Amino acid sequence: MLGTLEMGPIIRSLTRNKTGAVLIALQIAVTMAIVLNAVFIIGERNDLIARVSGVDEANSFQISSTGFASDFNHMQTLEQDLLDIRAIPGVVAVTTINAIPTSGSGWSMSLQTESGENKTDVGTAVYMVDQNGIEALSVELIAGSNFSENEIRYRDGNQEGWPQNIIITKALANDMFPELDYAEVVGKTVYINYTEPMQIIGIIDQLQAPWIGWNKLENAMLSPEHIASGDFSRYFVRTEPGMRDDIMLQVEELLAKRANERLVEGLRSFEEVRERSYSRHEAMIQILFVVMITLVSITGKGIVGLASFNVNRRRKQIGTRRALGASKAQIIRYFMVENFLITTFGIVLGMAMTMGLNMTLVSVFELGRMNLMYLPLGAICFWLLGQLAVFGPAIKAASTPPALATRTV
Amino acid sequence: MLKMKNISKVFRTEVVETHALREFNLHVQEGDFVSVTGPSGSGKTTFLNIAGLLETYSSGRYLLDGKDVSNLNDTARSKLRNEKIGFIFQSFNLIPDLNLFDNVDVPLRYRGFNKTERKERIEHSLALVGLSNRMKHLPAQLSGGQQQRVAIARALAGEPRFLLADEPTGNLDSKMAFSVMELLQEINSKGTTIVMVTHDPELAQQAKRNIYVRDGKVSELTDNSGSSEYQEVVNG
Ligand SMILES: Nc1ncnc2c1ncn2[C@@H]1O[C@H](COP(=O)(O)OP(=O)(O)OP(=O)(O)O)[C@@H](O)[C@H]1O
Ligand SMILES: [Mg+2]
Repeated sequence: MLGTLEMGPIIRSLTRNKTGAVLIALQIAVTMAIVLNAVFIIGERNDLIARVSGVDEANSFQISSTGFASDFNHMQTLEQDLLDIRAIPGVVAVTTINAIPTSGSGWSMSLQTESGENKTDVGTAVYMVDQNGIEALSVELIAGSNFSENEIRYRDGNQEGWPQNIIITKALANDMFPELDYAEVVGKTVYINYTEPMQIIGIIDQLQAPWIGWNKLENAMLSPEHIASGDFSRYFVRTEPGMRDDIMLQVEELLAKRANERLVEGLRSFEEVRERSYSRHEAMIQILFVVMITLVSITGKGIVGLASFNVNRRRKQIGTRRALGASKAQIIRYFMVENFLITTFGIVLGMAMTMGLNMTLVSVFELGRMNLMYLPLGAICFWLLGQLAVFGPAIKAASTPPALATRTV
Repeated sequence: MLKMKNISKVFRTEVVETHALREFNLHVQEGDFVSVTGPSGSGKTTFLNIAGLLETYSSGRYLLDGKDVSNLNDTARSKLRNEKIGFIFQSFNLIPDLNLFDNVDVPLRYRGFNKTERKERIEHSLALVGLSNRMKHLPAQLSGGQQQRVAIARALAGEPRFLLADEPTGNLDSKMAFSVMELLQEINSKGTTIVMVTHDPELAQQAKRNIYVRDGKVSELTDNSGSSEYQEVVNG
């Protein structure tokens, strides 16, 4: 019906007139390399952002109190605060805590399975919580037991030594005892500060460390203690679903009753804490999106521009083709096929450049290696982009009157 | 073969209306060779464009090969052009980026011929115009007369019944014009009907018949072959 695709003549014609086509193909190649790598980076960042911290993110918040009155009784204040907060309707659990998962700041230690210096060790985040820590953090105890109330100790500034019992994440258990099933790790002794023994009494399913960029993000341990130094305490509160914002205000009000003795600050929902930490990633995603859209639209406009230029330059030729019997559809197809060939050249080049750029990013920024599936998917997108961009000029070309063949000299 | 009855063509722009053809009547028979002369602006190209389905007309009736073409859509008109009509233009209208082979190939591809058939036809028609040994040349590497021969080969490759030429020798010197004219006569002698617009009275005389167009009408019809049926032809 439409006759041949005219591939041969189009290719031969392009090779005799290549500057514009080569420039557009290069533009497509560069755009493809940047866009595919951007999409890949966005995907990776999104994967990072999608990681779960292990806590009940939507229904948790933190608040802290620092006593400044000369007669401030820290231990008493802390115990009373915990009682008062727990009494607020809608509060599921509250614990003291030294650091907040994903917040960016916290405490880390090294654990080893054998006592002594120069033994292999494993890094972990340390969360100092009380017997309600598990409930407040909304983590699941999947083996062993929780801390009992009477083993929670006060750690003041110059205290040496660590508690006898700890609870660790499954990831940390696997990290330290790769050959054991996590349940078998309960009862094992590990060493902190090279030689101080601690016993693992429980395993929790998941709890992330404070540092989202850390490669041991899932390694965390719970230590049964209240911080008692500097008259500082931080509370981590978990509420019934939907009640967080109300309760945040109530707790702040409650603690602020003794505003003449202490400073109440750091009231922040867990979501806000988390968002702050990931804001760099979010910003990167947004920047990459803008870059992608800008590049794609510039390239799209470039294709439209070149095609329009070619249509105007070839008006006489198009009129002649029409006079010789080309239907409008055949004229449109000519430009679509031509664009397809130029785009294909750009895509082949673009695939090589995409991999090259990815390899550079891998070695310079320690980025992941791109999944090869990006290449065919990207190719399809750029073919579509090209066909879409050239369609308007092609329609315009098809409307060239055949009489142009005899009317213009 | 070609029958026009009371064809009128009006070009309308915002400011003026131009009556390019008024009540134009003509009957061209199969195998005829008609030259068209007349002053500039008299409507010769307009007539040729309408005859070749490049332009539509405002009123009247036009039968091409016995078929009324007034109601055909654009695709059908393209198909008719492709199959029945060969065009030769004053400025050759070869595609500069394609070699001679590919240039002659253009209408054959629209026709949907397969590769072997196209190759045969291209080689045959380039041989006919004496350019077999230049198939890989680009148009710019040829003289004007040679370029026009390629255009003729292109027009003939699809074996049209009907050849339309708008001042085919207008851009050629007299020697080259003469050889092109000879070629056209040879083609006509093999049965192809030709209508040729020309400014050159000497060339016009070499056609079988000549029509003189003035003010969008056929004002005079001369039979160069001595036959006497022209009066009947004018009256359709
Ligand atoms: N597209 C157009 N729009 C408006 N007027 C036109 C158009 N084409 C032709 N005309 C007018 O129609 C009339 C006939 O033009 P045509 O080209 O047929 O003359 P011609 O006999 O071929 O002249 P020439 O010998 O100079 O080629 C002229 O007055 C011309 O200006
Ligand atoms: Mg003219």
